[in-house]
Amino acid sequence: MTYSSAVPSNGAGFAQVLHAEWTKLRSVRSTWICVGLTFGLTILLAYLAGSGNTTDANSFGPQRFFQAQLVHQSLTGDGSIVTHVASQEETGPDAKAGVMITGPVADPTSKTGLPASPPAYAAIMVTPGHGVQWQSDISHDAAGTTDPAPRWLKLTRAGSRITGYESPDGVTWTQVGTAEVTELPATARVGMFVSAPPTGVKAIRRSPTSIENSPDYTLSTAVFDSVRITGANGQPVSGSWQHVDTSGPPRELPHDSVAGSFTENAGRFTVSGAGDLGVQAPGSVGDNDVVRDTLSGILIGFIAMAVLAALYITSEFRRGIIRTTFTATPRRGRVLAAKSIVLAAVAFVTGVAAAVPAFLISQPLLRENGFAPPAYPKVSLTDGPVVRAVLGTGLVLALLAVLALALGALLRSSAAAITLVIAVVLVPLIIGPFLTLGGEAWLKRITPGAGMAIQQTRERWDDAIGPWAGIAVLSGWVAVVLIAAVVQLRRRDA
Amino acid sequence: MHSEGRLSGVTTPSRGMPSVSAMDATIDVAGLRKRYGSTVAVDDLTFTVHPGMVTGFVGPNGAGKSTTMRIVLGLDAADAGTARIGGRPYRSLTAPLTEVGALLDAEAIHPGRRAKDHLLWMAQSNGLPARRVGEVLDQVGLTSAARRRAGGFSLGMRQRLGIAAAMLGDPPVLIFDEPVNGLDPEGIRWIRGYLRGLAAEGRAILVSSHLMSELEETADHLVVIGRGRMVADTSVADLVAGASGTRVLLRTSQRTDAMTLLARAGATVAVIDHEAVTVDGLSGERIAALLGAAQVPFSELGAHRATLEEAYMELTRDAVEFGATGSTP
Repeated sequence: MTYSSAVPSNGAGFAQVLHAEWTKLRSVRSTWICVGLTFGLTILLAYLAGSGNTTDANSFGPQRFFQAQLVHQSLTGDGSIVTHVASQEETGPDAKAGVMITGPVADPTSKTGLPASPPAYAAIMVTPGHGVQWQSDISHDAAGTTDPAPRWLKLTRAGSRITGYESPDGVTWTQVGTAEVTELPATARVGMFVSAPPTGVKAIRRSPTSIENSPDYTLSTAVFDSVRITGANGQPVSGSWQHVDTSGPPRELPHDSVAGSFTENAGRFTVSGAGDLGVQAPGSVGDNDVVRDTLSGILIGFIAMAVLAALYITSEFRRGIIRTTFTATPRRGRVLAAKSIVLAAVAFVTGVAAAVPAFLISQPLLRENGFAPPAYPKVSLTDGPVVRAVLGTGLVLALLAVLALALGALLRSSAAAITLVIAVVLVPLIIGPFLTLGGEAWLKRITPGAGMAIQQTRERWDDAIGPWAGIAVLSGWVAVVLIAAVVQLRRRDA
Repeated sequence: MHSEGRLSGVTTPSRGMPSVSAMDATIDVAGLRKRYGSTVAVDDLTFTVHPGMVTGFVGPNGAGKSTTMRIVLGLDAADAGTARIGGRPYRSLTAPLTEVGALLDAEAIHPGRRAKDHLLWMAQSNGLPARRVGEVLDQVGLTSAARRRAGGFSLGMRQRLGIAAAMLGDPPVLIFDEPVNGLDPEGIRWIRGYLRGLAAEGRAILVSSHLMSELEETADHLVVIGRGRMVADTSVADLVAGASGTRVLLRTSQRTDAMTLLARAGATVAVIDHEAVTVDGLSGERIAALLGAAQVPFSELGAHRATLEEAYMELTRDAVEFGATGSTP
């Protein structure tokens, strides 16, 4: 008497639920409206960023820096200076410690009689990152061995010809560089110097809408010994050592915090200094992340995706379709997992599909607006960080969409879920400027918006978190809300 | 009141019903209890839906019919008791749509989704062949609307779509919550025939309604509940017979005189229309004798046969009264 189904079933496993959830998503028009809006808004914002942002980074000429702690004596006529750089503190690859010959140096404390440009000089130095370097008249330089301190250095003067040597032992010398320094006066200053370029950016928040940036200097300390100055006659020259901080008013920050110093103890000279020595090429001031700036419009596109994601489950609760879903698939966690995967796939493809044209449209516009080499080297879609940013745009959109979905499952209300997900992503961006820079950085580290760090393609002073660490933070949020949603779906009546 | 007499033909539910084999397509509800906050929706409900017949699930709105159905389908969790399909809890069914088909709410369709897509995702979720979509649409007469979005469907069309969805897996057990709602007379006739046909194939069918008349020509068996409690679990024939009881139908042109006379003799008299009354408490012979002695003419005197609706009204009235007294401490 009992009837038995005549319809064969391939089983109701996870693959079947995935298939069903994909059919659900694709068979509703609002899905494609939201996908289209996400796609269009993201590209539109990239276009606006590309056409609206300009820079004059390339219009700065070469910038000359002559900032060092110099411990010197006078040398009249030909002669030489030899020293042994016993140690050098590594504050960065370009910290410098060496010997120098130069003309008169303006005393920065007098604030008058400043030379319009740095004086003529020649110097040989060691750096932690690039070994032995030779500089003369700022614009000429040469490289010696790549060995860092300890190292022997020598500078000789013959008329206006200055030559720099290096040696591992003070016995065997190798020439590193030579130059005619014609503007050098007959009595020049020779001595040891220490310099260290900025290690970062010192930022101070002045108001929610204004941040002051300046180079962040760190003192580097080097120890010199075996210092010997020899005159034209081959005899040692002795005199009193003087020290001067050649950095003057060009430095924007009050220099007190990084004031150089020098001490001598039985022929050992300990010198601390900070500053930059040499030429900064034109355009090296550009530090915008042109890729992130144009792809971050995905956050606006995300608003449309959040609507789609929340409705994907809240519309089922509102209309009672969830009961049909749960009668077809009584395992509720499986339903949410299938929805998450289908939605994440759609969001990922949408994000990447929007990021590629967004990049291709915005980059030529930015180049026209000054974001061009040398300040901004041309970036290509195949560069590693760009690939990461473009694919990451899809990834972050997918994770945020799943977050919206999980909130929808938890709250069962589209209005509540959409509002909340947009709030947790966007509100920190609004609140951040009211906090200290440190507080803002923490907000960017711990809120779901941390995932946006995946769009970084270069290091910047205001990076709060690394690309993958940011994705990990966002994933953590998604996991927590998803688990809460599954627990609640199982417990609560449908 | 005469509730005892009226209920004499009704079998009251018992816990010790014979258990059915696990393979049988039955719905077994045992000791089911469900409360929402302070409201008891289902209170100690026990019944079985057998294969090969249509079981009507009747009770006023809010009696607990939908709640019971949701518990049977694993959607709501019972506070106590069990609900099993063929001996197994719904949530343990592997491909549920091939074992149970359900129509809970015809409005539960996404208005932006085409009818065929609504059926397609359901079929896919249980690994059913896609051809079933066309087959069930054909069964319910919606083939021409397959590509239309459900938002434009009338309530009747939605009911048909919901029935089509329930039939996707060709299940031996079917649960329909108020399927007649919104159907036109032609649709009502169609669904009666359709349900009878499904039962004749050996399927177990549970159909709820708040109107007994809707089930009069459809149901073989009735489960009547009120305020979450079992009122009657009986065959339709027994229920009508029980409600008819020993009452006698009397048709007379002098209704008032007859009523006064018979009431004085100790009978309970109820008016049916201006020429007809039912008399309870006196035999037909005694009534004839009394009327003859008083010279009250009458045109008809015979055993009264209650309609299903009357039987139901009496049952649920009792349930309401019972509930009202029961709730007072």
